Amino acid sequence: MNKGVHRFALLVACATFFLIIAGAMVTSHDAGLATSDWPLSNGQVFPKMVGNLFWEHGHRLVATSVGLLTIALYIYLVRKERRSWVRRLGLFGVIAVVAQGLLGGLTVKLMLPLAVSAAHATLAQLFFCTTVSLAVFTSRSWIEARPKFEEQGSVPLRYLCTAALATIFLQLILGATLRHSATWDQPLPTELVLAHVAGALVVVLTLGSTVLSVFRRYKGEKYLTGPAAIALSLLIVQLFLGLAAYLTRLASPNDPQPLNPMVGITVAHVACGALVFATTIVLTLRTFSVVGVSHSTVKLDGRTTGVVSI
Amino acid sequence: MKKQTKVWLVLSIALSLLALASACNKSPETNAPETSTNAGAKTYSGPVGTVTGVVVYTGTPPAPKKIDTSADAVCGQKNPNLSTEDTVVKDGKLANVFVYVKDGAATDGTKIGDFAWTAPSTAVVLDQNGCHYRPHVLGIQTNQKLSITNSDPTQHNIHPQPKNNPEWNQTQPNGAPPIEKTFARSEVLIPVKCNQHPWMKAYIGVLKHPFFAVSADDGTFTIKGVPAGTYTVVAWHEGGAAGTEKTMQVTVPANGSGKADFAFGEAAAAATRSGSLEIMPALEFPMLGKH
Repeated sequence: MNKGVHRFALLVACATFFLIIAGAMVTSHDAGLATSDWPLSNGQVFPKMVGNLFWEHGHRLVATSVGLLTIALYIYLVRKERRSWVRRLGLFGVIAVVAQGLLGGLTVKLMLPLAVSAAHATLAQLFFCTTVSLAVFTSRSWIEARPKFEEQGSVPLRYLCTAALATIFLQLILGATLRHSATWDQPLPTELVLAHVAGALVVVLTLGSTVLSVFRRYKGEKYLTGPAAIALSLLIVQLFLGLAAYLTRLASPNDPQPLNPMVGITVAHVACGALVFATTIVLTLRTFSVVGVSHSTVKLDGRTTGVVSI
Repeated sequence: MKKQTKVWLVLSIALSLLALASACNKSPETNAPETSTNAGAKTYSGPVGTVTGVVVYTGTPPAPKKIDTSADAVCGQKNPNLSTEDTVVKDGKLANVFVYVKDGAATDGTKIGDFAWTAPSTAVVLDQNGCHYRPHVLGIQTNQKLSITNSDPTQHNIHPQPKNNPEWNQTQPNGAPPIEKTFARSEVLIPVKCNQHPWMKAYIGVLKHPFFAVSADDGTFTIKGVPAGTYTVVAWHEGGAAGTEKTMQVTVPANGSGKADFAFGEAAAAATRSGSLEIMPALEFPMLGKH
């Protein structure tokens, strides 16, 4: 275990979160086409960042920084990380961030077609998932031997976590599609709004039952209850932010320009959604790490006994 | 983990391909271009008249909203009182209404669209001045030149969003030469916006023939040179998702004038509002209101 690698992976994950916020600012300000060229803006690396070009070019600069950080993380992993699968995940991160940059360029060049813009927003979440996973895999708590827990429920926690993670991801895709289907001065399509609301209900059910199962089955085990509690808290905040975002967005087409309340709340909704996703990733990975699926108890390291994790 | 990495790779590639495929289907550039001069169509040489009228606004117009130009200081310096232009009313008269002959026939029975109408050689100018478009609403013939100028000491980008013509988006720095474009297909109306300054909006009406006008500050308009006949005249005003239209049958006498007065506003909207049950502003169930 290398502390430096973990800290750097954490830095990349945090930078990616900031990048998601920067991207959400672009969408909410309708700044995606503030310049018609790519990768330069108006033919310059550092153009005068006035009007919406501040958001669009700012997003490009942050994205470039995250790309460079991801490459640096991969080099760091190649030099210091012994587990080949972690190095390969680092390589996947590099591929994902490059693909994400190209997709960003494509969406500018094709003038924000819905599918490309939604794919850009979706791949952003997948890349975030990768950087969060790398931070988890390089952490001390992941690498050091931990007590293993016996599966205590009729429905394995692994399945519940996977279901919650999958529904959150699908909900993020729906949210991205909804956001990119109409600019601030157009009404949101009713069908997508209803689908996103229905998706929220499904997430509440899956993540809610997962968190409750964690608390019922593994009370006191902070390794699992910690991320579960954070995920639930964020989910509650996210629901209120979603309602507030909808209400401010309803009024938006009558406004002369994207106003700060709508922009701020909507971007907070996007950011909180990413955090719900990230904490559920942590919970899922930890569950796969310490909650077994078989019932054959073995000695692990002389200190603890547990269940073989398959 | 090797398998997981492969799954992710395949997923991201699939997403990219899906996006590309969708993007390739998007372009309206595949539309066959219309021509102002129909092949084999005859030119009109008979008697002509005019369509004149006044556009009024009934009820209390919405107050113009002040625009926050702090994102680009130059805009505030040049145009400190910049406000919205969607409903410009003076003494009850409504400006910026696009009035045009939609269809109908001349006295000889030939439809207006079946004549050949040559596009003028003069360009229509759309200027960006004080971080708003001048004029706010304009008409142009198919294949007539549109010249876009930037009179501001800041950069703009021009982004028309047509449905029948190719969409384009072009940055125009301050001091850059005019951008010249044409629209090959008729379309009423094409919204134009500046993605640098999101409050900037204009509308372009593109028609095969030259029979259109935009109401002036006093609400008046005149459409000249209309072949004598009977026509459907439409007045379009921005607002809502696709604007509001009023329609009227007008007979244009030879060497005379047909009258077409239109009314927009609260009272006019109440008179023509169709029944629908609104649960929330964004959720309408029109079928419930039809019983």
